Amino acid sequence: MKRLLIVAVILMLANPVLSIAGDATEIMQKSHIAYYYAANDGKADVTMRLINSKGKERVRQFVMLRMDAEDGGDQKYYTYFQKPSDVARMTFMVHKNAEGNDMRWIYVPAVDLVKPISADDKNSSFVGSDFSYEDVSGRHWSLDNHSLVSEAELDGKSVYVIESVPKESYKAFSRKVSYVNKENFLPLKEEYFDKKDKMIKIFRAEKIEVVDGIPTITSRSMEDLKKNQRTIVQFDQITYNIGVEENTFTERYLKNPPRKYIM
Amino acid sequence: MRRIIIILALLLTTNAYAEVYIGGFLQGLYGGRLHEDNPTETEYTASESRLQLKLEHFSDNAEVFGRLDFTYDGSVDPSYDWELREGYFKFRLGNNFDFKIGRQILTWGTGDLIFINDVFAKDYQSFFVGRDDQYLKAPQDAIRAEYYGDIGSVNVVWTPNFEPNRLPTGNKLSFYNPMIGKIVGADMAMPAVEPESRFKNSEIAVRYSRMVQNFNAALYFYKGFYKNPLGFDMNLFAPVYPRLHIYGASVRGPLGGGILWLEGGYFDSRDDTSGEDPFMPNSSIVGLIGFERQLATNFTANLQWKIDYMTDYDFYEMQQTMGGGYVRDEVNHLFTSRVTKLLVDELLTLSGFVFYSPSDEDGYARVSAAYKYNDQVTLTAGGNFFGGDNSGSEFGQFKLNDNVYVKMTYGF
Repeated sequence: MKRLLIVAVILMLANPVLSIAGDATEIMQKSHIAYYYAANDGKADVTMRLINSKGKERVRQFVMLRMDAEDGGDQKYYTYFQKPSDVARMTFMVHKNAEGNDMRWIYVPAVDLVKPISADDKNSSFVGSDFSYEDVSGRHWSLDNHSLVSEAELDGKSVYVIESVPKESYKAFSRKVSYVNKENFLPLKEEYFDKKDKMIKIFRAEKIEVVDGIPTITSRSMEDLKKNQRTIVQFDQITYNIGVEENTFTERYLKNPPRKYIM
Repeated sequence: MRRIIIILALLLTTNAYAEVYIGGFLQGLYGGRLHEDNPTETEYTASESRLQLKLEHFSDNAEVFGRLDFTYDGSVDPSYDWELREGYFKFRLGNNFDFKIGRQILTWGTGDLIFINDVFAKDYQSFFVGRDDQYLKAPQDAIRAEYYGDIGSVNVVWTPNFEPNRLPTGNKLSFYNPMIGKIVGADMAMPAVEPESRFKNSEIAVRYSRMVQNFNAALYFYKGFYKNPLGFDMNLFAPVYPRLHIYGASVRGPLGGGILWLEGGYFDSRDDTSGEDPFMPNSSIVGLIGFERQLATNFTANLQWKIDYMTDYDFYEMQQTMGGGYVRDEVNHLFTSRVTKLLVDELLTLSGFVFYSPSDEDGYARVSAAYKYNDQVTLTAGGNFFGGDNSGSEFGQFKLNDNVYVKMTYGF
C-alpha cells in the first residue's frame, strides 16, 4: 500500500507535462473568452482593408452586432454592409452553434431576397478577406491539444507561448503557436503552420485599448504568407453591453436593419 | 408626381437621426445574338447605358427609399428612358407591425429561379439578355403589411393594379405566338390585354411563416391572375391574363451540411375550373424539391426538381392535337442546377445555371464570369443559350435568342 502511494506521488511530481497541459488548455480557454466573448454583447464599426501582393487595396466597411448566449457557447452575429457599393445595404447573419454547424443568412435588398447559406466550411474566407469564418467567430479550445512551450516577452509584454495541435487532422493548419498576454489573456500573435511545418499565416493584435473597462483588440491583422497578402481590420465606436435583444437576430431585422445601432 | 411630393415632404420634416445614404452605379451592357435568322427588330440583344441612383433616408422608426434608373439605348425609340424602380415609405407600428407602402420589389418562396408561391412580377426580357440579377424582378406598386409575433409572422401584400410579367416583345427577343403557330418578332406580336383597373381586379398575396426547429415553414395564398397571358379572349381577339388562386406551402432548412427546400402549390385556374375551355389554362399542381451544398472552399452547387401536373389533361390534349399546337406531357419534369465558383480571392466569380426539361426536351443555360477589377469597377462577360426540339415549348420558343454579352459597371 505504502509503495503504491510513493509511486503515485513520484508519478505526480515527475509528470509536469500533465499539469502544464491542463494549464495550457485553461489559458487558451481564458484567451478564447477574452477575445471572442467580451461582455454579453457588443457593437462595432468595422473597416477591413484587404491588401494583395501587388499592394492593391480593397476596403470593406460594415457594422457588426454580437450577442452571446453564454461564454464559450452559442453566439449570434449581425452584419450590415456599407462599402463597397456592390454589397452596400446587404445584411448578413450568423447563428453560431458551439456544437454543430452554424446557420448563416444573407439578405439582398435589391431583390428582397433572404437566402440561407450552406455553412459547412468554416475555412471559407469571411467577405473575401484573409480571415476565415473560424477566425472571425472562433475555434473552440477543446478541438486542439494545447501545451505550454515557454513564458516569454513579446513587444515588452509578458506572454505565455502555447502550441496547439488539432485533435483531428485539419486542413487549415497542422500546428499553431499562440502568444497570449499574461495580464489580459488576449492573443497578441498567432503563427499557423501547415503539415510540412511551414508557416502559412500570422495573426497580430496591432492595437489594444481598454473599452468600457474591457481590454479589446481594436486593430488586428492576418497575413497570408503563401499568397503574400494581408487583411487589416480596424474596430471603431466599440460599445459593450448595449442590451441588444435576441429577436434582432431574426429575418425581420435582416430585412429591416435596427437603426438605433446601424447608421 | 404625388409620390415625389410625399417623398420630398418626408425628407424636409425629419428629426431624430436623419441620415441620408446616396449611392448607385453607371453601367454599359452590350450583347449580340448568335442566330442570324431571328425575326427580331434589332441587331443586338442589348445595347444600353444605365445610371442608377439610390436615395435612402431614415429615422428611428421610418424610412424612405428611392431607386431611379436612367437608360440610353440607341436602338429603341425613345432612346432615353427612365424608370422608378423602387419608391417606398417604410415604418413600424408598435412592436409587431411593419409596413412598406409604394413601389417595391417583393420576393418570397424557396425556389432558385423557380417560382411557385413567388407571385410577384418577373422581367424575363432583362433576365435573358444579361442585365444584373436584380432585374429579374419587376417592381410592383403595393402595400405590404407584416405582423411578427410568437405564432410566427404574417405577411400581406395588396397590389391594387395588377402587375404582369415583362416578357419578350419581339423587339430584341423572339418568342412563340400560339395563334400563328411559330416563333415571331415584334411585327407579329399580339399585345396582351390587362384586366381593367378595378378593386376586384387587385392582387392579394399572403404568407404565414414560422420556425419549426431549424426549419422555416410557410403557408401561402394568392388571389389574382396568371402573370403570363396564358389565356385568349375571342371577343377582344387578344391574349389575356386569366384569373388565378394559388394555395401553397414550403419548408426550408439545414440538412446534411447543406440547405434543403420543398415547395408546392395548387394553381386554381378560376376562368376554367373544368378544364374544358381551350383558350384558358387548366389548373395544375406543382411541387419542387431542392438542395444546395458547398462542395469545396468557394465552390457551391445546387440541384432542383420541379414536377408540374396538369389537371383535366384529356381536354387539353384533345384541344391541342386538333389545333395542331404543341402538346406538353400531363406530368412535366424540370431539373435545374446552379454552380458558383469564386477564384482569385473572390475577385472572380464564375456562375452557371441550367434548366433542363426531359418532358419538353428543351433547356436554357446562363453562364457568366464577373471580375472585380477594384472596389468600384466590375467587368462581366456571359451568355444565354436556349435549346429545344419544339418551338412551342417553354424554353424551346426562345431558341433563336442565344446571345453573349459584356458588361462594365462602376459603382459609387
